Amino acid sequence: MTDSPSRVPGTDAPQTPVPDAPGRPQAPTNRPPLRRRRMNRRARRDALVFLAFAAPNLVLIAMFTYRPLILNIQYSMLDWTLGSRTATFIGLGNYVEFFTSDEGLTSLRITAIFTLFTVGGAMVLGLLIALALNINIPGRTIARSAVFAPYVLSGVGVGLVWLFIFDPNFGALGWILRQLGMGSPQWFLDPQMSLVMVIIVYVWKNLGYCAIVYLGGLQSLPQDVMHAAQLDGAGAVRRFFSISIPLLSPTTFFLLITTTLNSLQAFDLLRIMTPTGRGTNTMIFESYLQAFGGYSRAGYSATISVLLFVILIVMTVAQIMFVERKVHYA
Amino acid sequence: MTSSLHLPRGFSRRSLLGLGVAGAGALGLAACGGGPEVGGGGAGGGEELDLDFSGVEPATKIDFWTNHPGGSQEVEAQLLAAFTEETGIEVNHVTAGSNYEEIAQRFQTAQAANSGLPAVVVLSDVWWFRYFLNGNIIPIDTLVEQLEIDLSDYRDSLVQDYQYEDQQWALPYGRSTPLFYYNKDHFSAAGLPDRAPETWTEFEEWAPKLTESETAYMYPDLAGYAGWTLQNVLWGQGAGWSDEWTITCAEPAAVEALQWVQDSVFSKGWAQVASSDSADTFAAGVCSSTIASTGSLVGVLESATFDVGVGFLPGGSVEGPVCPTGGAGLGIPSAVTPEEQLAGAMLMEFMGRPESTVAFSAATGYMPIRKSADLTELTAETPQIQLAVDQLDVTKPQDFARVFLPGADQEMAEAIASIATAEGDVQAAMDGLKETLEGIYTKEIQPKLEG
Repeated sequence: MTDSPSRVPGTDAPQTPVPDAPGRPQAPTNRPPLRRRRMNRRARRDALVFLAFAAPNLVLIAMFTYRPLILNIQYSMLDWTLGSRTATFIGLGNYVEFFTSDEGLTSLRITAIFTLFTVGGAMVLGLLIALALNINIPGRTIARSAVFAPYVLSGVGVGLVWLFIFDPNFGALGWILRQLGMGSPQWFLDPQMSLVMVIIVYVWKNLGYCAIVYLGGLQSLPQDVMHAAQLDGAGAVRRFFSISIPLLSPTTFFLLITTTLNSLQAFDLLRIMTPTGRGTNTMIFESYLQAFGGYSRAGYSATISVLLFVILIVMTVAQIMFVERKVHYA
Repeated sequence: MTSSLHLPRGFSRRSLLGLGVAGAGALGLAACGGGPEVGGGGAGGGEELDLDFSGVEPATKIDFWTNHPGGSQEVEAQLLAAFTEETGIEVNHVTAGSNYEEIAQRFQTAQAANSGLPAVVVLSDVWWFRYFLNGNIIPIDTLVEQLEIDLSDYRDSLVQDYQYEDQQWALPYGRSTPLFYYNKDHFSAAGLPDRAPETWTEFEEWAPKLTESETAYMYPDLAGYAGWTLQNVLWGQGAGWSDEWTITCAEPAAVEALQWVQDSVFSKGWAQVASSDSADTFAAGVCSSTIASTGSLVGVLESATFDVGVGFLPGGSVEGPVCPTGGAGLGIPSAVTPEEQLAGAMLMEFMGRPESTVAFSAATGYMPIRKSADLTELTAETPQIQLAVDQLDVTKPQDFARVFLPGADQEMAEAIASIATAEGDVQAAMDGLKETLEGIYTKEIQPKLEG
């Protein structure tokens, strides 16, 4: 048996084995060729290096992401009062309750309304602001910073400040409305107005993110296409709807996914501004209220979390499968 | 002829193996989790508690979980320092939440994790029974005996609030009742006497004259107080949320009482519902009167820029007590060591001493919980506290439905909101509430009591 030809480093092309010389006795062939043994050693070494680097992270992810996720699925099938050391297995009972109770369906409806208006509001207003910031005017840099600032502020702080603004008795908004001869809506007592209130604040907080991302998209649009359209007589509105919007579709798609996921998981503002969740109990907030808001229903709370997780996965996959097809990449 | 296993398209043996490994990993991860013991359902943890502390040495360091009721952080720290000086036991003064609900969240989460529990925890009127049902706290009778705590010197109604099945489960701490607060300047301008109304009928006659503020009377905000303070109106009409475990909120007397509440807001228009803490709203001069906890007394007196009057809660058409007790007590978790439990009981004894409770009351407005407490200095400085103490004689234990049913307070607030912030049908709202509360009792309480 001859040695295998030397291998060019970095190439993985299949090597042609050299036949044994005629007349020589056949050596036992159980052992793998030396090259393969070398590759195995290398593969093992690579695997060890990979494990050395990845294992700590994999362990942490397993313990703090997948373990809670799996436990949550397990808890969702229990009738478990938080604080109790015992629980009863009830199968899909909590899921049935969620989909057959008024409270569960109301929470789904509020989640849909909140997500629709916050995503739509932040994206539309963000795009309009991006268009304004794209104009070369003095103070543009300061304006960009000012627009983006709310996004990086703490949701708790933002919520507290807006609570003062919305307070019907002492708030700035109530004062302005009174000057105009109008009364302040009952932002805290009327469930529908409470939902409107948190949508307004959430959109205000997040539209800076959309504006900055859209601004980046606008500035990367090919100017030659714009100039050609202009030469062809297309007006500003036509250029915007027929060229800018289609070419911005990757940005829009990215924002649609990220803002939808964020809205579905919005919690801090809702908790601070409407602690009882009357009219604002989106699924994630309802999950919190069921476990910690006085009911202590840990099993049912876990069920809502699992359902929210499924909704997030389904929406993300659906967006990638159906919406991305309509995206025009440059 | 043999048949081979064909995998679906897109599935290789490797991916199947990967799925198997992932599944095994998932099971492994789930297996190493904590959580409840599945299959139970009875009361408590099912373990026999050893409540004999005769040979136990107290722990030298313990945790005390509190939300500093009534802004008591400073006075609590002073009392804890004095306790450490006397006993040598170091106390970690933990802010475990900003209100009773947040402290309950943390306590229950620690129960689920079975770690990090304190030796003493502040527990409110609506939480201690749940802790009892879940086996989270221990009865303290043997500790009371060993430490020679004189329960007969505690104010009867306050100490009795924590008795169940002939056992004592907690001791009073920051205890309160609702008080009627009124703006003396507004009352004077309206030509009204300088006192709280004796009945709601009397106040209804006064209300049109109170024109100095936006509203004559502000109902407390619904989130934390509807279930508690509206017992006053219900009891005044001979009604209630419940009669022991029988839900009575939909009976004619209760509906009539709550219809009166709705009328005061809408058809008569002399009342509104506070959108935030009614004590703060009152102190800001937005309303001429309100009902708020005695625990808000010192804060209101400090922040109001007008003369504040306080009085007993107005009565109704039916004779009898119309004032509920409230506030928080101190309890000892079952899942800490006997050494910590003993040290915790020593701390509870210290915090309940007459001189400690006077110091606590002076700083907050909560009621002194001991009969032998010398109130001379306290009432000289804040005379209104004497009235809160006097009102204790006409208090009544709260309705079972409000304090013992999990989530009942939230359900009551929701039902009241539908009639006091919108003109919903009172009978329909109370019928719905009754059904919900009965459901909670049947599902959450009855099995545990029977178990």
